[in-house]
Amino acid sequence: MENTEQIEGQKTVETAEKPRKHAVIIKSNKYGITIVLDRQLPFEILKQKIAEKFRESADFFGSVQMAVSLEGRVLSEEEQWEILEVITENSQIQIVCIVESDAEKEEFFRQSMSTRLNELSAQNGQFYKGMLRSGQVLETETSIVILGDVNPGAKIISKGNIIILGALKGIAYAGAAGNSSAFVVALEMNPCQIQIADVIARSSDEKKKIDKEPKIAFIENENIYIEPLSRDILKIIH
Amino acid sequence: MSEVIVVTSGKGGVGKTTTSANAGTGLAKLNKRVVLIDTDIGLRNLDVVMGLENRIVYNLVDVVEGNCRMKQALIKDKRYPNLCLLPSAQTRDKSSVTPEQMKKLTEELREEYDYIILDCPAGIEQGFKNAIAGADRAIIVTTPEVSAIRDADRIIGLLEANELKKIDLIVNRIRMDMVKRGDMMSIADVVDILGIDLIGAVPDDESIVISTNQGEPLVGDDSLAGQAFMNICHRIMGEEVPWLDLSGKSNLWSKISDIFKKK
Repeated sequence: MENTEQIEGQKTVETAEKPRKHAVIIKSNKYGITIVLDRQLPFEILKQKIAEKFRESADFFGSVQMAVSLEGRVLSEEEQWEILEVITENSQIQIVCIVESDAEKEEFFRQSMSTRLNELSAQNGQFYKGMLRSGQVLETETSIVILGDVNPGAKIISKGNIIILGALKGIAYAGAAGNSSAFVVALEMNPCQIQIADVIARSSDEKKKIDKEPKIAFIENENIYIEPLSRDILKIIH
Repeated sequence: MSEVIVVTSGKGGVGKTTTSANAGTGLAKLNKRVVLIDTDIGLRNLDVVMGLENRIVYNLVDVVEGNCRMKQALIKDKRYPNLCLLPSAQTRDKSSVTPEQMKKLTEELREEYDYIILDCPAGIEQGFKNAIAGADRAIIVTTPEVSAIRDADRIIGLLEANELKKIDLIVNRIRMDMVKRGDMMSIADVVDILGIDLIGAVPDDESIVISTNQGEPLVGDDSLAGQAFMNICHRIMGEEVPWLDLSGKSNLWSKISDIFKKK
């Protein structure tokens, strides 16, 4: 992992120092995009160029959440804000944070992005009313509350938490972006599989009685635990 | 006010064709104008269950391709003049018909019939898509087995995705003795999993096998299955009918009364 990061870092530096034909270049990195700006161009013209560039590629980006870093030019804080404004006006990109493109700050970049996204997905929620049936897959960027059953063969994937006001008999995958503090709650917990972040648990092969007690599934010590939904358990979950 | 009803299940062998034949015959018995359509192109068998195989000249594909008029392909039932069958083709496959053509065909039949019942093939491919294209409502047939229920669940999901809102359930081949022993899922269990309205429950009855082999739908006769199918017909028409007691006791009673009638 470290090696590849270094190589990518070097590449960025190289291209930044080459003489450029274009005033604005958009490059992607792991957590979002890097915008390389011309050093000499007057700021107003540069802003126009950025607007042009993002209008052209608005369809390509769609409404994604990403981090942005600006490169190639020394900018005042005010100028940075103006550039961000231009970007959001001309595309649907949601800028999660700005980071100065510095190889040393790569780690900070990654952390702030993932914690911010985790927070966003865990805090915000959606509702889905209805039964999820065999073959149906529901994917959400945020936490999800399902008013209905999740039948065998159905699957829910959420980057946040999953709360099922009904029976969970299919597959639930919470914290799909890697948030290991995500949890799954169901009024009737009989899942086929539960996955939280990168830990997978499957139901036991022994036939057991159907459980009609509300339960919560969460990660502790890299294992998934399923416990009755009690006050004590809720204290442990953050 | 005609209705196009698709009888479907996902899984094969759960009783779609038997249900279609009995529901169609039962509704005809109740003085409704009914047409049964076998949409299982290539695996024709609704005509066999109805005992009308020897009358087939033209079929569904002929009508769609314009080789004959609708009137020529419709086979009048030997028992009820207000019941017709549109058989499927035996030598073609599912791709010979498109959903649009099926829609057009059912629209044409709406003018002259009260109920258009489509017997859907197993699976979720082209044949299924054709069958559901023109339907207003669906009847899901399932047996109390996990595999049949899983497929039924998938089918319900697909129907809902196709904006088909009115979906009713028939639980077929129930054995009350096994349910009592806890070896078979109960009707309530099946309804609980699938979450749709129950329109009928049919017991596992020998007389169904006999009637199917003879090409005489048993709907409305004294057998428990015959009564169950008649009740389903009443419920399709929107009537409230009390639920049959499917337990062994009444089964035995009907068997005894059958014996006396035969003598």
